[in-house]
Amino acid sequence: MTGADPPPSAPNPVLAAIRSRRMVRAMVDRPIERAELEQVLAAARWAPNAGNRRLHRFVVAQDALTLRVLRMVAPGMFQRPAAVVVICIDQRRAISFGMRPTAKGLYIDVGTVAQTMLLAAQSLSLGAGVVTSFSQAAVTQVLNIPGHLSPEMFVCLGYPAAIQPPGMRARVRVTWQSLTDWERFPTGGDGGS
Amino acid sequence: MPKTTPMVLSEDEALELLAFLVTAARTQLDEASEYGSLRLLTAANRLADAVADRVSPATRALLTGPLRQIPELAVRTADPAGYAAGLDDLCRAVGEHLVGHFGVDRRVP
Repeated sequence: MTGADPPPSAPNPVLAAIRSRRMVRAMVDRPIERAELEQVLAAARWAPNAGNRRLHRFVVAQDALTLRVLRMVAPGMFQRPAAVVVICIDQRRAISFGMRPTAKGLYIDVGTVAQTMLLAAQSLSLGAGVVTSFSQAAVTQVLNIPGHLSPEMFVCLGYPAAIQPPGMRARVRVTWQSLTDWERFPTGGDGGS
Repeated sequence: MPKTTPMVLSEDEALELLAFLVTAARTQLDEASEYGSLRLLTAANRLADAVADRVSPATRALLTGPLRQIPELAVRTADPAGYAAGLDDLCRAVGEHLVGHFGVDRRVP
């Protein structure tokens, strides 16, 4: 067993996009066409979503000064992107469905939206990177976000620079096999993590 | 007469760094502890970016040399001993620069 991904039976652009996508942390100073940005947002509308409740809202920032200030309050934002999509949870609507603010589905769906945007960006030759390390309180002020929306994740978008900073080194070698167990765990096993 | 040094940081740049530090203090409460060092080094690099063109050649050499030796996204768990050694090297270079910059070695006891 080599740990390599199994080869697809035929050229598969979806798998190719999944495998080649990388977190882009260096972007060139070039604006994104509005039409391309809208394609990314339109793709996100099709992201898997619990109960098809659509409890998320997106705020798009493209203004250079706004982006600069967002970066000031987002310690995890290494990029200087051409646009940022802020994924927010609509807490008021979540409550209307009887959901607690900490319900895991709300946050899982932030991830599915983000991954869909990342793949859409990849398909358009845009670079993308997510950021969760930001002050929600500060971002709320900077973007004048209404109180019932909580900003949860940035999707930074821009054209990738030719040279990217080295990514975070893997702590352990990961293969799909090392992440997977089949059927039941063996008695007395701890899952191996 | 105290030695006067030129201003190397504008109000905008100072505010940018202040905002980063304050918000990092908050985000760190929810993040992996190893991000503490990462964020501080990111802040140091942002400060270096802001002032590099206005500082003395010797300080610039520190900012563009030893400070850049630690990769931007390096964290402790990937290589704890190597990470600590890299930070020690950087701290040593900072200390050496401080001695020269402030003339600690030229003081008469």
